[in-house]
Amino acid sequence: MPPEPANNPDPRRFEVSKATLWFDRFMGWAIRFGGIGVIIAVFGIFWFIGKEVIPLFKPGAVVKAASVTSGTTPVILGVDEWGEMPFFYSGGNKVVFVDGETGARSEREVPGLEGQEITASSYDPLQRRIALGLEDGRVGSFIVGYERLFENGEPKGVKPFITAEPWFELKNAGGPVTAISYGDAGPTRIMAVKTAEGKVEVIRLGLKGGLVGGKKLSVTAEVDITPQISGEVALIRASQNGQMVLVADKVGKVSYFLADTQGVTKRQEFTPFGGQGLAQMDFLFGGVSAILTAEDGTQEQWSLFRKTEDAERLFGMTKDFPDVGDGRVTFAKSQRNRTFLTGAGRGLSIRHSTSGVVRWEGTVDIDPAAAILDAKGESFWIASETGEARKFEIKDHHPDAGVQAFFGKVWYEGGAGPVYQWQSTGGSDDFEAKLSLVPLIFGSLKGTAYALLFAIPVALLAAVFSAAFLPADVKRIVKPTMEIMSSLPSVVLGFLAGLWLAPILADRVPSVMMLVILIPFSALLVGYVWCRMPLAFRNRFEGGNEWMIVIPFLALAAWIGWSVGPLVEKMFFVYVEPGTGKRIADFSLWWPQATGTSFQQRNSLVLGFIMGFAVIPVIFTIAEDALSNVPKNLTAAASALGANRWQVVWTVMLPVASSGIFSALMIGFGRAVGETMIMVMATGNTPITEWNLFSGMRTLSANLAVELPEAPDGSTHYRTLFLGAIVLFAMTFVLNTIAEILRQRLREKNKLV
Amino acid sequence: MSSEISKKQPRPDFIRVEDFSFHYGEKQAIFDIDMAIPENEITALIGPSGCGKSTLLRNMNRMNDLIDGVRHEGDIRLDGVSLYDPSVEVISLRKRVGMVFQKYNPFAKSIYENVVFSLRVAGRNGKKELDETVERSLRDAALWDEVKDRLHDSAFGLSGGQQQRLCIARAIANRPEILLMDEPCAALDPLATLKIEELITTLKNRYTIVIVTHNMEQATRCSDRTAFLYMGKLIEYGKTVQVFENPKEEQTESYITGRFS
Repeated sequence: MPPEPANNPDPRRFEVSKATLWFDRFMGWAIRFGGIGVIIAVFGIFWFIGKEVIPLFKPGAVVKAASVTSGTTPVILGVDEWGEMPFFYSGGNKVVFVDGETGARSEREVPGLEGQEITASSYDPLQRRIALGLEDGRVGSFIVGYERLFENGEPKGVKPFITAEPWFELKNAGGPVTAISYGDAGPTRIMAVKTAEGKVEVIRLGLKGGLVGGKKLSVTAEVDITPQISGEVALIRASQNGQMVLVADKVGKVSYFLADTQGVTKRQEFTPFGGQGLAQMDFLFGGVSAILTAEDGTQEQWSLFRKTEDAERLFGMTKDFPDVGDGRVTFAKSQRNRTFLTGAGRGLSIRHSTSGVVRWEGTVDIDPAAAILDAKGESFWIASETGEARKFEIKDHHPDAGVQAFFGKVWYEGGAGPVYQWQSTGGSDDFEAKLSLVPLIFGSLKGTAYALLFAIPVALLAAVFSAAFLPADVKRIVKPTMEIMSSLPSVVLGFLAGLWLAPILADRVPSVMMLVILIPFSALLVGYVWCRMPLAFRNRFEGGNEWMIVIPFLALAAWIGWSVGPLVEKMFFVYVEPGTGKRIADFSLWWPQATGTSFQQRNSLVLGFIMGFAVIPVIFTIAEDALSNVPKNLTAAASALGANRWQVVWTVMLPVASSGIFSALMIGFGRAVGETMIMVMATGNTPITEWNLFSGMRTLSANLAVELPEAPDGSTHYRTLFLGAIVLFAMTFVLNTIAEILRQRLREKNKLV
Repeated sequence: MSSEISKKQPRPDFIRVEDFSFHYGEKQAIFDIDMAIPENEITALIGPSGCGKSTLLRNMNRMNDLIDGVRHEGDIRLDGVSLYDPSVEVISLRKRVGMVFQKYNPFAKSIYENVVFSLRVAGRNGKKELDETVERSLRDAALWDEVKDRLHDSAFGLSGGQQQRLCIARAIANRPEILLMDEPCAALDPLATLKIEELITTLKNRYTIVIVTHNMEQATRCSDRTAFLYMGKLIEYGKTVQVFENPKEEQTESYITGRFS
């Protein structure tokens, strides 16, 4: 008998279809894959940024790379750009070259001696020039150059050459020259010499053009500065800018001479170590600072700066380095940055003058008599009196980086004191990079603060009004409009801010002030009068339609405020021209005069307005949602208990929505901190640290946008920008974490269970 | 004292619903209802879901104003004055007509602050008055003995029934004349329901109570009068005993005997 279908239902009815199972499994994996992918991506970003940033904080490292013997006692040690073939010059008539790899030795004759004895010599690695002083009182120089050799297109070895340079007869001096220093800035050059008789002279060289033939280097002035120096001269140094001469005497008194259009004049006399003699004195790269070492090993940096704005540029101590120790003092400066190699005896260190830190410290196995850093700063050579020489490779790619440089106050060259400053690139090669992130952090905070100062009150009040007061049909128009506002591209906003709004606001600051006063005031006034109207009249607008009454008054107040602005300006903001006593009603002139701070067209006021367009919709939308989602039974309960609309908002809606409102503020904050285009276009990008409403700022984000394209890959600048990115992230991370903790507490306190 | 005076002469048409119709947008929820609710009595509104009983109740203190797109015709008069008179201030109306909701809804505040909410929003902050109000209201709501030691604890620490009694205490703190109850026991278990019913009966002498309920027994146990609404229309209205024991309308009888719901 066939089974009855009703009593024997299909046994497959509990089965799940293959497609459903397959889809379920697929989605499970897809979601897992997506989630893990996101985590990997985030960590990948961290890894990448960390990889860029970590090298900044690595200390320098030095590795011994070669060891050769020259057989000469070097007075001067030099090397080619690649650190491959050092030359040793003992003060005689031969220059000895030794190949660092093979130890092969070769010699070159010093040109133009005419049989005279050399009595003084010095070396300028920047120009690769050895300056000489002769027994007969002549001074001159020659260049030690190197030519790169190639084999099969690959660089292989160098070939040294010597170029003769003119000799000069000194008129006044006569007799053997015992010390010489040569400073070369191309067309203007300077030489400082000391003779056996104790005379000190400054010789200025210039290119004199004859009508026939090329320009010829010749002495333009020869100034005897002996009378201006009291003690016995120990060290003389001419600067690379061809204008300055420092002379130190035996008791450590240093005289500073400047050669300018008014001739050679003594400008200053200073005693860095209180009567102690100097073991070393040299200009650093750039020629604005000098490193001085006392006989006891104390080391200081002295730089040229103006103590006050109108003062002359004079030397002053800017940094105190750790003692170099006892022994013969070694010094070699870098030819590309503010690094220098120094030490006493066998203990050497590499130091950086900007942040005043020791990058590397160690000992060597010979007693250095001379030292040289190669032009790239990738290696240094030292040579002992016995003719031994060693090459050390330097692994220190970011000597000017460090915690102090990024976050501390640094006394930069030319400054009157330690400051936080950001100026990553300059016009010349000898520019000292100023890499303090503090002004940028400040700029980010300032930009965010002003943006939120404008945005939060407007956004929150608007959200409350929309959620609790506005009739639903109006709200249906207002809310999407606000949401569309948030999708305005920030580049458009920045463009409007910089080119349209900024010029208007710069002219109408008093009007804006009047608006800020009059609009809220008129709203309060209308409210006050409204409460005193008959109930029957007020009930006609019940249900939230009161805004119809307020709007015309607000518009009127705005119009009045805008119109009376210039009048207010004439009354209160009159600039008196200091010279003529002329009175000009102009806020932008009055403000700097009255407060001593600057007035810029692209300022925080403009930023606040425009950032409002970016931030208000974000805060408004989320806060409005939070307020609207307060359970109706709670607001109804409060209404039923006789609370008016504002009391319902204050006592019920705000506490319940507080965590949501807090989220809105945090998302607004995140938007403001991360905002880039508006900041780039509307703030002027000056990295200053002042809260002044009428000046701009430079934010971390804008800084990244502006400078990243021009920072060479892998450079200190490039990595510092990544550090800025990390700082920006850390700032938002810390603030968001704090905010999240607070939000959770609020939620716990006001939860509806 | 005033309640004693009014007790002497309860007004028979304290709340007057006159030809009242109500629309939610396009949808009409109430059709021409006409009824008089006497003072100091408990009037139950019964009827199947969606019959308009809650809507009618929520119009008695104009809570429906909070909903978008509503419209009414006819009138509701409270002690002879139209609720929709232009001179009526909604806030003071709601102070006269208290309300207890279907789902207990205390605020995220302490028990004490929940009770005194209506005083606080009225700007009455005197400590003595507040303390007295709390004790009186909680006693009236039969909750005092259970919570007197933890008045400043969160209201969410109470059981569902206690929370609903707290909401009643909150509603009567400002001594309204009328108490509207919208299915006050719908979210409670039978034991808590019983307690609330007892409470409602004790409140009767002092307040005019209008209660919406789905529960036939509750209507018979508590109310003096019962109105049966069906499809937005008032089908039958009279003494509870009469409506339940001897309904005039067939629809009423079908409903109360459970033939439809």
